[in-house]
Amino acid sequence: MKTNQMNQTIVHILLILLSAACLFPFLLLFMASFTDEQAIVQHGYSFWPSEFSVDAYSYLWNQASTMARSYGITVLITIIGTVVGLLISALLAYPLSRKDMPIRGLLAFLVFFTLLFNGGLVPTYLVYTELFNMKNTLLALIVPGLLTNGFFVLLIRSFFSTSIPVPIIESAYIDGATEFKIFYRIVLPLSLPILATIGLMLTISYWNDWFNGLIYITEPSLYSIQNLLNRMLSNIQFLQQNSLGGNSSQAAATIPMNSVRMAMAVIGIVPILCIYPFFQKYFVKGLTIGAVKG
Amino acid sequence: MTRMSRKWAWASTAVLSASLVVSGCGGSNEGNSEASGSASGASNGKAVELTMAFLNFGNMNDVQTVQDEINKIASAKINATVKLMPIDVSAWTQQTNLLLAGNEKLDLLVTSSFFNYSSQVAKNQLIPLDDLLEQYAPGIKETMSEEIYNGTKIDGKIYGVPSVRDTAADYGMVMRKDLVDKHGIDLSKVKSFEDLEPVFQTIKDNEPGIVPLVQNSNTQTVASQLYNQFIDPLGDSLGALLLDGGDLKVVNLFETQEYKDALAIARKWYQAGYIMQDAATTQETGNSLVKAGKALGYLSNMKPGFEQQESKNDGHEMVAVRLTKAVTQSNGANGFMMSIPRNSENPERAMQFMNLLYTDADIVNLLDNGVEGKHYVKNEDGTIKVPDGAGDTGYLFNQWMVGNNALAYVWEGTDKDIWAQIKTFNDTSVISKALGFAFDANPVKTEVAAATNVLNQYRIGLESGTLDPSTLDEFNGKLKAAGLDKIIAEKQKQLDAWAAANAK
Amino acid sequence: MSDAFKKLKRYRALFLMILPGMAYLIVNNYLPMLGVVIAFKDIDYSHRGLFGLIYYSDWIGLKNFEYLFKTNDALVITRNTLLYNGGFILLNTTVAIGLAILLNEVRNRLASRFYQSLILLPYLISMVIVGYLVLSLLNVENGFVNKVVLPMFGVDPISWYSEAKYWPYILTIVNLWKNIGYFCIIYLASIIGIDHEYYEAATIDGASKWQQIRSITIPLIAPTITVMTLLAIGRIFYSDFGLFYQVPLNSGPLQPTTDVIDTYVYRGLMTLGDIGMSSAAGFYQALVGFILVLVSNYIVSRRDRDSALF
Repeated sequence: MKTNQMNQTIVHILLILLSAACLFPFLLLFMASFTDEQAIVQHGYSFWPSEFSVDAYSYLWNQASTMARSYGITVLITIIGTVVGLLISALLAYPLSRKDMPIRGLLAFLVFFTLLFNGGLVPTYLVYTELFNMKNTLLALIVPGLLTNGFFVLLIRSFFSTSIPVPIIESAYIDGATEFKIFYRIVLPLSLPILATIGLMLTISYWNDWFNGLIYITEPSLYSIQNLLNRMLSNIQFLQQNSLGGNSSQAAATIPMNSVRMAMAVIGIVPILCIYPFFQKYFVKGLTIGAVKG
Repeated sequence: MTRMSRKWAWASTAVLSASLVVSGCGGSNEGNSEASGSASGASNGKAVELTMAFLNFGNMNDVQTVQDEINKIASAKINATVKLMPIDVSAWTQQTNLLLAGNEKLDLLVTSSFFNYSSQVAKNQLIPLDDLLEQYAPGIKETMSEEIYNGTKIDGKIYGVPSVRDTAADYGMVMRKDLVDKHGIDLSKVKSFEDLEPVFQTIKDNEPGIVPLVQNSNTQTVASQLYNQFIDPLGDSLGALLLDGGDLKVVNLFETQEYKDALAIARKWYQAGYIMQDAATTQETGNSLVKAGKALGYLSNMKPGFEQQESKNDGHEMVAVRLTKAVTQSNGANGFMMSIPRNSENPERAMQFMNLLYTDADIVNLLDNGVEGKHYVKNEDGTIKVPDGAGDTGYLFNQWMVGNNALAYVWEGTDKDIWAQIKTFNDTSVISKALGFAFDANPVKTEVAAATNVLNQYRIGLESGTLDPSTLDEFNGKLKAAGLDKIIAEKQKQLDAWAAANAK
Repeated sequence: MSDAFKKLKRYRALFLMILPGMAYLIVNNYLPMLGVVIAFKDIDYSHRGLFGLIYYSDWIGLKNFEYLFKTNDALVITRNTLLYNGGFILLNTTVAIGLAILLNEVRNRLASRFYQSLILLPYLISMVIVGYLVLSLLNVENGFVNKVVLPMFGVDPISWYSEAKYWPYILTIVNLWKNIGYFCIIYLASIIGIDHEYYEAATIDGASKWQQIRSITIPLIAPTITVMTLLAIGRIFYSDFGLFYQVPLNSGPLQPTTDVIDTYVYRGLMTLGDIGMSSAAGFYQALVGFILVLVSNYIVSRRDRDSALF
């Protein structure tokens, strides 16, 4: 018993250290956003600002309308994308999980193949902009991320086929329930853990997506919060590293300060941290069965 | 509008878009903007919407408001509206690639030799403008010097119209005025880059915590500011031209004496502690280092009014010493242009709008400075300033990119006749013999990709003085291994062909 | 009524369910695959649109692939890509399994949840923000490491962004930091799924913790390890673009150790604007990945049919 107690202590100490290592850069970022700009350039980033300042946040507050709109867009695409993506994935995964489904192997391979092969950026872009006219629409921020590739579908399928007892489905069918009713009344409620897991993954990927915005959106009023962040950082980098003849210094004057960048990052992180605990309950459970076999 | 004229307009449009060659039908050819604007307006039966893509650096949240105001004027004059499409500089190459590959609506596009202008032409992505210019925008020619106007030609045809801006540059040092005054430094005694050394020494000895010299960006290296007066980098520096050389001979910049000398000076200054020790790797711009009180100043390419501009950017009053003559390099004209891409369904209307960008002061002011009263207010002397109490105005346009900037109001603190000064500055500069040449990297793209990688690795270290110049041989060796000789040969070939086509 | 038709009728609802997802995959994944031919063409833009570009441009064979193989860089970027990804697969798997075993040992459920949350935190944020974080640590003149950590040990500041030799470690640490939570929880999930009776029996037999881990835990989560590893091998020629581009800030002197195929191609696209070249690179990566997965899957399935992907 004594050694076991000892083991627990070691385990806790190790885990506390590791957790701290994960948390630590976030604290630095958070403090930097509250540090006076001159203090950052003079003394560097630190855990305790030599001079506190909320300048960065008041600077952002001045752009409240831009920020609010970007937030709105991020929230909107995250909600719609997660719900629709989850629905399509589950609908696709369920028949694939049924051992009696005709041409199941072929269909599963078609899903699996998308994991390994893709057509590349330019053709994808042309399909969306030319066949579907999605440039500069909210759809362009939603549609390309719905399934991205078949990975989530395969995870859900594994969950269905391992954790939903076939006899329940069969008896429901014999009792005269339609396939849709079975799916809706029996399969989905039994699969909450995996749905929550995939839901969280979709939420994270929509919330953090900057790439689709970079490709499909040129209209500033459609920028998501990540696009605002990304353009700020990458514009700075571009001006630092590329020559535009004599003109770059004029452009450089419009670059926001260190602390503002940090404050933007904080604003980008906080919401995802807030919703995470609500999903976490299901997270491990969902992966338990889902991940056993892709 | 009568039935007759609408029919006529349709016919002329059809002819135009079919051949792009039209004899003098329709609009009058007077240089006067008013006349040509209204004359061409008369033949514009159907209202069209044009899309104009341009580079964005800052805050353009109010672009819609500005666009609405511009469209009031444009509708009346040429029966067209324009949709402004600002694209962030970091996304620019990717976006324009995608835009030009697709069928998207795009009528006017900022092009630049910094952004693959010549390969866009080589890939048939832009249309030649000569006839359209003649037809719809004869006034543009008068807004700039002939060398610049013709300085965008490829195979004898114009594919882009340069913006009216400071096309030349001279080189020197910008410094904090308070520090210069405090130590009684007499700047009139500084005649050459070497004369800066005592200045640096004074600051180094007396101002702990302040570095005498920083770099404003990773491309404005110390050495580059020293050798730029002698060298035309012909775009990517992979094969360059000596400005005082008599012939059009492409040489390896990194083996020239001028380059070696510049590196030696940079190294000397670095070792003497004049240059910030992490100049090569800093993520801060020179502006923010000066602003934070960590630096005296930086070497830079300049133009008339540069001190005033930098004083605004640096948060300190700045003074400048100019140490070289002004030079116009090969990208003087094609550095920033307006082109009409093949995507355009209305090239003639696009050209009419382009004409307004060079001749209509109201439109230029809207585009450059925003809406009066909202984004700027006028002072009594005719200059403009940010409205009182407005922090960030929601519209920041980078003036040098598009159109005839000389028509725009001048911001407070800048000389009122700044554009006259800039014109003289441009006109009296030493002009590179290769002005207008733009290299098409496509035939040697494998080599360019590899050599660019080598440049990224060595250049900033060498040119900021961080690396010892003895590394230069290694650098050149790797460049050669990457195929520099092949690039230079290709560049020479293109330059010769270009010279022949333009009768140089 | 024929059998096939009967089947179709019986399963029509299931086919209906599949429809949206399959339609989506066809549009989003299969239609663009036609575009791989761009890799073999000299794109002429006078005919625009996806089909115009593909149809009218001239075939140029493997010319677009040349730059991937002909230059000295080719070796470096291929080596970097393989070494990094190989290292990541190895390290992520071992550390994640170790961490999962540790977490599984925690008896206080609340504490376990708490640790899991914190360890997963970095996985939730985008690479853009990770780039910010690393910069605030490693910034030469005001980064935390140079200002606070190194002086504590009396070490001179290091120009992190120009010293290539540190970056294999930095990138590996950042990658581990960012992804460990995700992998850890996947393995933790597998471990939790193991029947407790195995351990009870082992304890009665007097097996030590270490022996239990070696002969119960690892063999029983082996299928998960195989699947995760196979998936990772399929993508061994791709790299996390955000990690290799955003985190080293595209700094030139770091390229010998930070340049991977994706960043090299991207930089090529930025300087040359050539979609033929980037399509060629994409095709090459996909092809090699595909072959690697087929081969390793074959090897796995020879040993244990059930662990294979297909």
